[in-house]
Amino acid sequence: MHPVQKHLFDTNFKDLAGSKIEGTIAISDELINMGIMDFLNGLKSGAENDAPSKPSPAPAAAPPALDTKAILALLEVETLKFRTSEGQAMLEVNASLVS
Amino acid sequence: MPTLPEPLAAILEDPAAHIGGTDATLDLCLDRVLLNEILAARPKDTPVEELLLDPEAGNLVNLHLQVHAPVIGNVRRKISLKPGPAVSFPDQPWLRLNITSGFKMFDKPIIKMVQGQIAEKLPRGIEFTSDYLQLHVPALLTAAGYQQLVPLIKELRLTSEANRLVVRLRIVA
Repeated sequence: MHPVQKHLFDTNFKDLAGSKIEGTIAISDELINMGIMDFLNGLKSGAENDAPSKPSPAPAAAPPALDTKAILALLEVETLKFRTSEGQAMLEVNASLVS
Repeated sequence: MPTLPEPLAAILEDPAAHIGGTDATLDLCLDRVLLNEILAARPKDTPVEELLLDPEAGNLVNLHLQVHAPVIGNVRRKISLKPGPAVSFPDQPWLRLNITSGFKMFDKPIIKMVQGQIAEKLPRGIEFTSDYLQLHVPALLTAAGYQQLVPLIKELRLTSEANRLVVRLRIVA
């Protein structure tokens, strides 16, 4: 894992406090379907990797886990509206990371 | 370039088809600790021995630099940088940081050495003089393989606050 990514995970993204996003994000239907397939393929390959195999004599150190609960506690959402139009989904968002 | 997830690769391939209609502004606040983690992750084979950023209120960033330069040996400098105007396409492609103080009269070897490192190790589009550091954002994005993103960037601005740097990015697709 890259040291900067590790630092962000270790500190639950607190060094990005104050960051915010505002506006409309449009996503095509094709992209949503691609995302679903990508997610499912990720789950499948994860399940294959979890299958029992020969025990490793010296397991590598596990990467730090992302504490989603802590990160969500920092997230302040003022607006989050979802709508669909022809061939795409629109997300109106106004959210920030508080310290 | 690392293999990207298929949805991200699709956005890079044809942004208008996949995120057309997007108009969003991101303010990314980078704390001093994080900035210095990023700088600490630089390649080990550079003659820069110490590189620390210290953003101040009032749009001023201090860069603490220790280098081993030919002729003059080990030197430390505190360079003050003032972020310039926002990048917007196609009229203003340069992200500029003006050097307001720090270099001394006989620092030509340091400047030449940094220029040499930039020319040798970094893609084209980075200019460094005793007066400024500027990045040609379209050239750097193109060198990284993200040229399709260039026309989407309507505003890219750096500002400094006490202990943090704020990157504002407005994307319109």
